[in-house]
Amino acid sequence: MKPRETFYDVMRRQGITRRSFMKYCSLTASALGLGPAFVPKIAHAMETKPRTPVIWLHGLECTCCSESFIRSAHPLVKDVVLSMISLDYDDTLMAAAGHAAERALEETIEQYKGNYILAVEGNPPLNEDGMFCISGGKPFVEKLRYAAKDAKAIISWGACASYGCVQAAYPNPTQATPVHKVISDKPIIKVPGCPPIAEVMTGVITYMLTFDRLPELDRQGRPAMFYGQRIHDKCYRRPHFDAGQFVEAWDDENARKGYCLYKMGCKGPTTYNACSTIRWNEGVSFPIQSGHGCIGCSEDGFWDQGSFYDRVTDLTQFGVESNADKIGMTAAAGVGGAVALHAAVSALKAAQRKTQNDVSEEA
Amino acid sequence: MTDTPRRLLVGPFNRVEGDLEIRLEVEDGRVRAAFANSPLFRGFERMLLGKDPRDAMTITPRICGICSISQSAAAAGALAALTGASPAPQGALAAAILHGVENLADHVTHFNLFFMPDFARPAYAGRDWHETAVDRFTAAQGSAVREAVEARAKLFHIVGLLGGKWPHTLAFQPAGVTRAPTERDRQRIRMSLAGFRRYLERVVFGAPVEAFAELATRDALMAWTAGDAGLFLRIAHDLELGKLGRGPGRYLSYGAYPLAEGRAMKPGIWADGQHRPLDTAAITEDLTHAWMLGKSAHPARGVTDPDVEMAEPAYSWCKAPRLGGRTMEVGALARAVVDGHPLALELGASGGGVLARIAGRLLEIARTQILLERWADALRPGEPFMADTPPIRDGAGEGLVEAARGALGHWIRVEGGRIAGYQIVAPTTWNFSPRDANGTPGPLEAALEGVKVAPGEDTPIAVQHVVRSFDPCMVCTVH
Repeated sequence: MKPRETFYDVMRRQGITRRSFMKYCSLTASALGLGPAFVPKIAHAMETKPRTPVIWLHGLECTCCSESFIRSAHPLVKDVVLSMISLDYDDTLMAAAGHAAERALEETIEQYKGNYILAVEGNPPLNEDGMFCISGGKPFVEKLRYAAKDAKAIISWGACASYGCVQAAYPNPTQATPVHKVISDKPIIKVPGCPPIAEVMTGVITYMLTFDRLPELDRQGRPAMFYGQRIHDKCYRRPHFDAGQFVEAWDDENARKGYCLYKMGCKGPTTYNACSTIRWNEGVSFPIQSGHGCIGCSEDGFWDQGSFYDRVTDLTQFGVESNADKIGMTAAAGVGGAVALHAAVSALKAAQRKTQNDVSEEA
Repeated sequence: MTDTPRRLLVGPFNRVEGDLEIRLEVEDGRVRAAFANSPLFRGFERMLLGKDPRDAMTITPRICGICSISQSAAAAGALAALTGASPAPQGALAAAILHGVENLADHVTHFNLFFMPDFARPAYAGRDWHETAVDRFTAAQGSAVREAVEARAKLFHIVGLLGGKWPHTLAFQPAGVTRAPTERDRQRIRMSLAGFRRYLERVVFGAPVEAFAELATRDALMAWTAGDAGLFLRIAHDLELGKLGRGPGRYLSYGAYPLAEGRAMKPGIWADGQHRPLDTAAITEDLTHAWMLGKSAHPARGVTDPDVEMAEPAYSWCKAPRLGGRTMEVGALARAVVDGHPLALELGASGGGVLARIAGRLLEIARTQILLERWADALRPGEPFMADTPPIRDGAGEGLVEAARGALGHWIRVEGGRIAGYQIVAPTTWNFSPRDANGTPGPLEAALEGVKVAPGEDTPIAVQHVVRSFDPCMVCTVH
């Protein structure tokens, strides 16, 4: 059997120059927050390690994750990652159709048994024996189990695969179920968001392909490097929150001044994601910058927490903060003025400490 | 072997948005009957019940990751109709820009990533255009595919600026948009549009977009040789795609881009050789061949109650929308026909088909680029982008927009301040609908009848051309 190709071989075959390859390595290092010392390490790994194949499956979903993914910031990174993936199996983009596509899946699994990464977009609906999502004549849940059996690790792309997302909203008509509730014997990394940010997706997959292991995860199974902070922590409107300057109605004078959207229902204070730092569409903007509050799409259960336009009042529902509901209570009570705000800020800080304590206690 | 009727199950389909399966009955080397099944059901209309009506603007876009703005716009439109909100003129303009960018990007994606790669298949080896097609359009690797993905990502900077993020943009509200662009934003939007124009003129059309938008006859179209559009037309001529996959020859459009001065593309229908006004009261959703319980009804009174027995004769989760009892084709071609564009009329009047649908889409790419530039020039940063939002009240509302793939309607009913009824009829619901009570097949099913199937073909390539020519969005179809 001829030795498996390395990533470097694949890239060269795709017409990527040595110079571009080195640039890719340094971009990857910086995207992942690693120092310049890691560049030769990444390069060495890519030159010597056999390519890790990726199988990308779609369940009950809207394809927004793929849509986000193919728009990631650096054309080179996207090119490389996309060409690596498209070599194997992806049912939205691939060339083959029908039975040929099903065979391609079987062959990939057979050939790379135990060595491939399974990327799942969407989730399996379990109601009525899974008949709400039939793929190749079989319920998607069977395809998922089949592909997962010989996978080295699984990536749960987006809120659907990670938590269920809006299709799991009450009454969850199809019993849409996140991947980790169906597959329990494989390492699973959750990359939530609806969709996740493109750069987060390429960052995660590049890390796994390059270092052949999962990045550091938080206690919910998310990559800590991207989900370690709340939107609120790095929000450019944060000073207005601290100063008690809020938008009161859409496009009012305060909105034009870029005040805080907390009163318009922004879920930034309870949402862990990188939107306010990496931003969207090649770093152009993110929802809060467009004048609309965050809806918390990377948090478990965001779809059933009352209206998206209600103020955050009971943060415990999110399972993230233990006592931060005080912020909501204080502000919602409409006390107004500096005193209430000061209390709110203190509560937030207290909440942070509490969360940290929780983590260390659990660890 | 070709003499005995045989059954083919084609699917799962790749390079369409979502899941699709088609059952074919083949006789004498041709499709005798086709049955389109949308095998994916999520139940959005059920989840919306009991929710805050405003949440429809956040939940419905998640029906689809490729036309989420269309869903936002339809939901905002339905709420505007319910509350009597009237969008600020500049807000409507910003919304049109956001929506136009999505539609434009969808067409470019469809052409490069979903439709053209079929011509790079080995089945066409030996044709004089095949090598070029392989080089340009091999799935996920062709040079055109890369260029399109890159150009599209840059175009979406506009959605970033005006809407914060894409997919699942949040800026749409009944009375306008949440972001008032600054002069700097306006300049950046113009720059992004200029960049996209360069891409279109260098790669897709090989000539000024105006020249393509002004094509008025089929002969002039077929004489177009420049760019990837020229390559497609050469292929279409060689494979006679003009005769393949004829539709019902009846077209419906809600009219694209509601602006203060009216819709930028006219609403209406084209049937029996003439333009007519559209009467949405004549729309019904027929359930006889859908795995749904209940009676056929107008969407304002419709319900979504899946039949877990999946009882015969139903064969799809998709309902069958009809206008006055008849099937209608929707999409870019339908929009241009209804709008009265001479080329579209000539192509569409004879029943359309694969060539007409793709040409209709290319035409709309050119026209949308021009519209977007005009709208960007008309942005006035100092003016209001959101009018007063009246409170939610009990009642009903209808939100009609044109998504890339055609007519999209939302019907909302509110009781006690909560959603009591919500029905969505998506473009592909029209095009890929199953049979109705009279046994009349949906537009795609009818278009597939008579299509050639070569002996031994289990995923007939001509069938794939027809299916993809509609640019189906299956996740929207059944939601």
